[in-house]
Amino acid sequence: MSSADAILPANTAWLLLALFSVLWIALGVYWGRRNKSFEDHALAGRNIGLALGTATAAATWITSNTTMLAPQFALQLGIWGMIAYSTASFGLLLFAPMANRIRALMPKGYTSGDFFRLRYGKLAWAIFLVFTLFYSLTWLVSMAMAGGIVLNALSGIPYVWGMSVILAVCVIYTMRGGLAAVIGTDFIQSLIIIVGIVVVGFAVLSHVSVEEIHANLAAERPALLDVLFPAAIMAIFNNLLFGLGEVFHNNVWWSRAFAFREGVAGKAFALGGLVWLPIPIAAGFIALASGALNVPVPAPDMVGPLVIADVLGMAGAVAIFVIVFCSLASSIDSLLAATSDLVTEDIYRRMINPAAPQQNLKKIAQYVTVALGVFTWAVCLPRIGSLATVLFFAGPLVGAMIWPIVTGLYWRSATSVGAVGGMLLGAGVGLVCYFAIGWYVATLIATAVSMIWVLGCALIAKPRFDWAKLKETA
Amino acid sequence: MTFSSGFLNLIIYGALIWCAVSALGLAGCLLRDAARGDVW
Repeated sequence: MSSADAILPANTAWLLLALFSVLWIALGVYWGRRNKSFEDHALAGRNIGLALGTATAAATWITSNTTMLAPQFALQLGIWGMIAYSTASFGLLLFAPMANRIRALMPKGYTSGDFFRLRYGKLAWAIFLVFTLFYSLTWLVSMAMAGGIVLNALSGIPYVWGMSVILAVCVIYTMRGGLAAVIGTDFIQSLIIIVGIVVVGFAVLSHVSVEEIHANLAAERPALLDVLFPAAIMAIFNNLLFGLGEVFHNNVWWSRAFAFREGVAGKAFALGGLVWLPIPIAAGFIALASGALNVPVPAPDMVGPLVIADVLGMAGAVAIFVIVFCSLASSIDSLLAATSDLVTEDIYRRMINPAAPQQNLKKIAQYVTVALGVFTWAVCLPRIGSLATVLFFAGPLVGAMIWPIVTGLYWRSATSVGAVGGMLLGAGVGLVCYFAIGWYVATLIATAVSMIWVLGCALIAKPRFDWAKLKETA
Repeated sequence: MTFSSGFLNLIIYGALIWCAVSALGLAGCLLRDAARGDVW
């Protein structure tokens, strides 16, 4: 997009980008001074309190998708679309009791990979690593790519520059400050995002009433008000399962469960889910106002910024730029930190150099963060537009891991055969359905097949797992 | 069957007020943690 089409002048956008970049890097360097060991760097000393814990759970789940795609969901799927998007919060709410159990069973754990290795053995661990690294890298690349595309669309900043700057800033402060920097900045970012959404929402409502929005929809696009909108109701199941699979397996969330102070993890995830729950509606309804406000929408994925800029002018454009920038940073930094910890702990420490001292592991984690940043940057450079398709492709892999994790945490009868078969069969059948039927059923079928296999194996299994095996000390 | 104007009012204003309360709650919670020395 050229600068002439953008809603924010490029000079103003560069100034905002520079201000926030300096702020995040300075905070990352400042908070990073506390980190002496890998445990400090990867898990912030395992002492995160309730306020920071709640904010980081919510902020990490608020991606650029939440702030940009929620309005698009509302525009295309109506009221159900906004509600469907909100169901992604169930992942955080249901992970709350699991986080307490993870903290209790694995007081010295580092990653979700540690759980698979200790609970199910090396084969299940290897499959898990392949699945989760594929998913995490795809998510990371899609976020960085979205950063370049969205900053370009909002301000005309060239794609490569926008993508490079946001990625570089996140790499620098995550590398220097580790999880403490990620969680600390998440708190500030979550407040900026939530306050921004509230201010923008009420400002839009001061220009058009809900009654006017409803009357316009009833006259022009009644399907968006339909209580029985089939496509929207299907989106609920897809979003719900994708959200559950993502939160249950990914080290982004497990590392936080390990990092929160004892007794805090469950409350922080539950409150984080409640904080996140209304955001897709608060951010999404703005799209429904486009008709009543007579705002032309040439591209559905830009409906939110277009309405806000039309109604609120320059102030609105600045607000949406800052909200999107904070949403991107809060997700990219978490993915960088969690994936770097996974590579350092599960691949370097457990496979290559088991005797590595804590100080060296911290350095390795920092190098891995930089390497991940360079890899992501190189993949993003050509601006592949179809990456969202790859993320949907990962849906069956994510869905197939739900049951091995849930049963492995709660049932002594859950077995390695169940976990390995559940992941392979679920992902395999899910991927076949992805190509044969469509993306919208792939995650659902993968989860169902995996569930049947895992539960069947657990029912006929004789051995009972000893939970003490999860309390690894080093 | 369609969603009513009243329902749309409820979820939009409800979501915005919920977000505002969440932001205040987070800020208050941080102040409480800071007063106890429990931030991290």
